Amino acid sequence: MDKVVEVSSLRKSYGEIKAVNNISFSVAQGEIFGMLGPNGAGKTTTMEIVEGLRDADSGTVTVLGMNVKRHPRRVKSHIGVQLQATALYPRLTVREVLDLFGSFFPRHISSDKLIKMAGLEDSKGKRCINLSGGQQQRLSVALSLVNNPRILFLDEPTTGLDPQSRRNIWRIIEAVRRAGKTVFLTTHYMEEAERLCDRVAIVDHGKIIATDRPDRLVAKHFEEQAIEFELAQPISDNELAALSGVTSALTEDGRTVIYSSAVPATISALLELAHSKGTELSNLHVRRATLEDVFLKLTGRRIRG
Amino acid sequence: MRVFSKLMAAHFKQFVREKAAIFWTFAFPIFFILIFGAVFGGMDETIFPVGLVVEDDSAVAGQLNATFQNVSAFELHVGQRDDELEALKNGDRRAVIVVNEGFGDSVAQGKQADIDLYYDPTQTTSQQVVLPIIYQVVDGFDRAMAQAPSMIQVNEETLQAQDLRAIDYLVPGILAMAIMQLGIFAAAEIVSDRENRVLKRLGATPLRRSTMILSTIAFRLIVALCQAAIIILVARLAFDVPMLGNWAFLLGMVILGTLTFLAMGYMLSAFAKTERTAIPLLMSIQFPMMFLSGIFFPTEMMPGFMRPIMDAMPLTYLGDALRQIMVESSPLHSQLVNFGVLAGWLLVCIVVAIRFFKWE
Repeated sequence: MDKVVEVSSLRKSYGEIKAVNNISFSVAQGEIFGMLGPNGAGKTTTMEIVEGLRDADSGTVTVLGMNVKRHPRRVKSHIGVQLQATALYPRLTVREVLDLFGSFFPRHISSDKLIKMAGLEDSKGKRCINLSGGQQQRLSVALSLVNNPRILFLDEPTTGLDPQSRRNIWRIIEAVRRAGKTVFLTTHYMEEAERLCDRVAIVDHGKIIATDRPDRLVAKHFEEQAIEFELAQPISDNELAALSGVTSALTEDGRTVIYSSAVPATISALLELAHSKGTELSNLHVRRATLEDVFLKLTGRRIRG
Repeated sequence: MRVFSKLMAAHFKQFVREKAAIFWTFAFPIFFILIFGAVFGGMDETIFPVGLVVEDDSAVAGQLNATFQNVSAFELHVGQRDDELEALKNGDRRAVIVVNEGFGDSVAQGKQADIDLYYDPTQTTSQQVVLPIIYQVVDGFDRAMAQAPSMIQVNEETLQAQDLRAIDYLVPGILAMAIMQLGIFAAAEIVSDRENRVLKRLGATPLRRSTMILSTIAFRLIVALCQAAIIILVARLAFDVPMLGNWAFLLGMVILGTLTFLAMGYMLSAFAKTERTAIPLLMSIQFPMMFLSGIFFPTEMMPGFMRPIMDAMPLTYLGDALRQIMVESSPLHSQLVNFGVLAGWLLVCIVVAIRFFKWE
């Protein structure tokens, strides 16, 4: 497969903080590539360096075969960019903003087509300031498509949206992929990464700690299932990890997850332990492991802290 | 060019669709003029004070004197030449008519007889109302003597009244203030655009930064010119404030002033992170400038220790320059100095802005 984005040994520091600490990855033509990680992990910084909006301290970035640092304008005319929370021209209408952005590019898609793609037919004459959060975000994605880009960069495209609006955005992104475009997105929603991404890079503290297909990431790290519950009085993770069938246990914010390869045996042992300690179990449920569990296992923290 | 015009159109729509911006830009300076004008008076002048000096004791001169006494539109003050010219200079007369010595002899000998007519050209009512009445009276008197052809020669002498009417002083100042505010408060919008990542989002397109900045500056220049036109028009219609100087020169000064204060706005925008912190910063710059630069009242009224501050402020020079052009006030500085100081500020602001301006 063709690599449309290639990043090697990228570094960027802000004073003492290493926002991007030796990151390398590539994005293949036609895939949806996601960077998953908590706020402040360095996702946005990495993405903005790739887009040519920021300079790296060191490392190289190639987009569509072009060195981003040397040809920023050429790169910008072939990519579509959506930034986190941008408020553009509040008193222009949806159609006016799309037309304006179209004029920045030598070739562009008509605003009618973009309005249709983004499902904004009913609000095309509305001023941006009067749009709902979901409509604003759809406009923002539509704007990133205005130059019919080969690669679309979406920085946390659904953050802060309600579930309905989130699904609307997902549908647009999936349509973009069907049209043969490459998508590079960042997110801190596991569900989003699992549903959309062909490949996910898990990022923490400026480093990529794992990269693979979401299902393979889970399979690689977990053969076991997750048992989640809350305890009235805490029991130490060590004690829980010693239970039958349990491979690891983690308690965070009063919520405990144990991973087990023999769920029925583990549950009866767990109930017995709780009974002997005189404490109550609540909100118990069993599920297969997810990316969230991978993140928890690799970093010892939940992603949304 | 297409991008440029699209951006201009976007600025325009953004601007006209915000009622508050329109108010502050256009209505506010006009309110200022109307309120100050009403306070300082000068609205309903129907009888004009005119001085008459008769230096000839002939009967004809006496008849002319009597004729002027009968002009109901005039409040005639008959006195000595020095006193009357002094009164004109102080703004107490709209015109002074001097019947020179030998007037009567000249008439008797059928020769040309001279009358001197002094007036202040900065007062448009003098030119539009008082002078025509005087000419009419003189003409009528001339014909009544029935010694054709006309013998009375009126020599016009212009005289700069030292004290402009308060409103004449004020209006160029308000124009300067409006230009200053337009430029400095551009910073608030720049900071807000940066805060809302508009600048960054535009930076993610092939749009050139120079195009982005130039379109903003060009748009604000147009707004400044519209503002100037409206202020001058309203001041003239409501209070007869004249525009005596060269229009091209005025245009040039308005443009230079706008550019200087826009550059200052760009410079200031580098020193505020959010719009909320920008506003107090801008206020702390614009208020002292407004009140210490002599745009509202003559700087002689300021205490001496304030002078160095005044002399440093670009608004002092813009106000002075516009006042000289519009109402030909006595200069504080020569126009060359005004131009030089404004251009100097422009340059300094550009250099500092380039050094410290942040796109995000």
